[in-house]
Amino acid sequence: MTEPLLDAREVSRRFGYRQIFRRISLSIKPGEVVALIGPNGAGKTTLLRVMAGLLKPTEGTVDRRGTIGLVAHHSMGYDALTARENLAFAARLWGIDQPGRIDGLLDQVGLSKWGEERTAIFSRGMTQRLAIARALVHDPEILLLDEPLNSLDEPGAQVVLELIEELAGRGRAIALVTHQFERIVRVATSVAYLVGGTLVGPELVDRRAPEAVSAKYRRLLAGA
Amino acid sequence: MRDYTRAVFAIIAKDATVEWRTKTAFLSAMVFAVLVLSILFFARDPTAVSSLDIAPGALWVTFTFAAMLGLNRAFLLERENGAMDGLLLTPVPRSAIFVGKMGGNLLFVALVELISIPLFVMFYNVSLAARLPQLIAVTAMATVAFVAVGTLLSAMVVRTRFAELMLPVLLLPFLIPPVVAAVQITARVLAERPLSEMMGWFKLLAAFDIVFCVLSVLLFEVTLDE
Repeated sequence: MTEPLLDAREVSRRFGYRQIFRRISLSIKPGEVVALIGPNGAGKTTLLRVMAGLLKPTEGTVDRRGTIGLVAHHSMGYDALTARENLAFAARLWGIDQPGRIDGLLDQVGLSKWGEERTAIFSRGMTQRLAIARALVHDPEILLLDEPLNSLDEPGAQVVLELIEELAGRGRAIALVTHQFERIVRVATSVAYLVGGTLVGPELVDRRAPEAVSAKYRRLLAGA
Repeated sequence: MRDYTRAVFAIIAKDATVEWRTKTAFLSAMVFAVLVLSILFFARDPTAVSSLDIAPGALWVTFTFAAMLGLNRAFLLERENGAMDGLLLTPVPRSAIFVGKMGGNLLFVALVELISIPLFVMFYNVSLAARLPQLIAVTAMATVAFVAVGTLLSAMVVRTRFAELMLPVLLLPFLIPPVVAAVQITARVLAERPLSEMMGWFKLLAAFDIVFCVLSVLLFEVTLDE
């Protein structure tokens, strides 16, 4: 039986007196793509940050068996640097020294022509593409994506969805937060609902019936 | 060790590139340095106070406050776009992040000092030819002390709402001991006193350097926790 690459057990998180979520368990095996769905303020981003190790859980443990790649709300880049320099900086910190790696990533996210431009002039969609490239610079085993399709145009979203499928095919464990069920259900293997501070699922996705996901989500919201 | 050094230099190079392109802190620091040096020079009564009497104080007020502008910027840069998260996700030790940020700050402050010293010589009519090595030594030692603690405090206050106001409030009390030592040494250097008269202050500065650097590296890891 395959060991999960990411294993969160009985994880709770509180900010001061405010309990964000409690006793959440979620494990992601190689090749799995778990979509996390929940209303605004449900704690999806906090859960991703806890899983990434950027926040400590107030209770519970998170085991990571591999490196983490994170796409967050912010680009994590520097506006005064070019797209290439931003990726090169991340690569240096990860100890990556592969010729052609940066070019390959820029090409993969459709920013080849913009490599030498400072990111201060980038549109939100281009910044999002760069953030995705940055998260992939060290070819992480675990990929955590917070609203990866945000600000992307249709071709951009298509590129990212294909990338997710390709990475899952190569045995990466992927968790993504989204409000775009219909699109994400095309690549997700399972879906988990974070509602009222608890996690329901993950449940396997029937890709032939994506409407079942939104129907279940509506039912959970109504019952919360 | 190679990875550690590589990460430190990557952070220094990145900070230097960003500052070179934006020049935000550098231009502010230079304008500030020129203003302080000239205001203090013209504010004195030349018939009552010689320029040499106020020169050490003027020099260190300039260095200290000009440096603070750069220190303020250091971690604000990492807050923009959540870049600090990007650093923390990498396998780079947190102490390497601190040393890299401190290295970038040292480079910035050294450049400000390098440009301020000729202005200081010009305004205060001091001859540094024979005393330059001693002045460089005291400048380097005092700069290391206040940049170390300044980098740490910059990381601490960056998540507060009024980071730019908080840094001077927290940093100034820590700066008093090394700056007093630096002023005392500088006064003796400019008065051409023998080295033996300054050794006590040099030892004190060396002690501050060691304590501030070690404590800052150790406390930085705690600072990054929530």
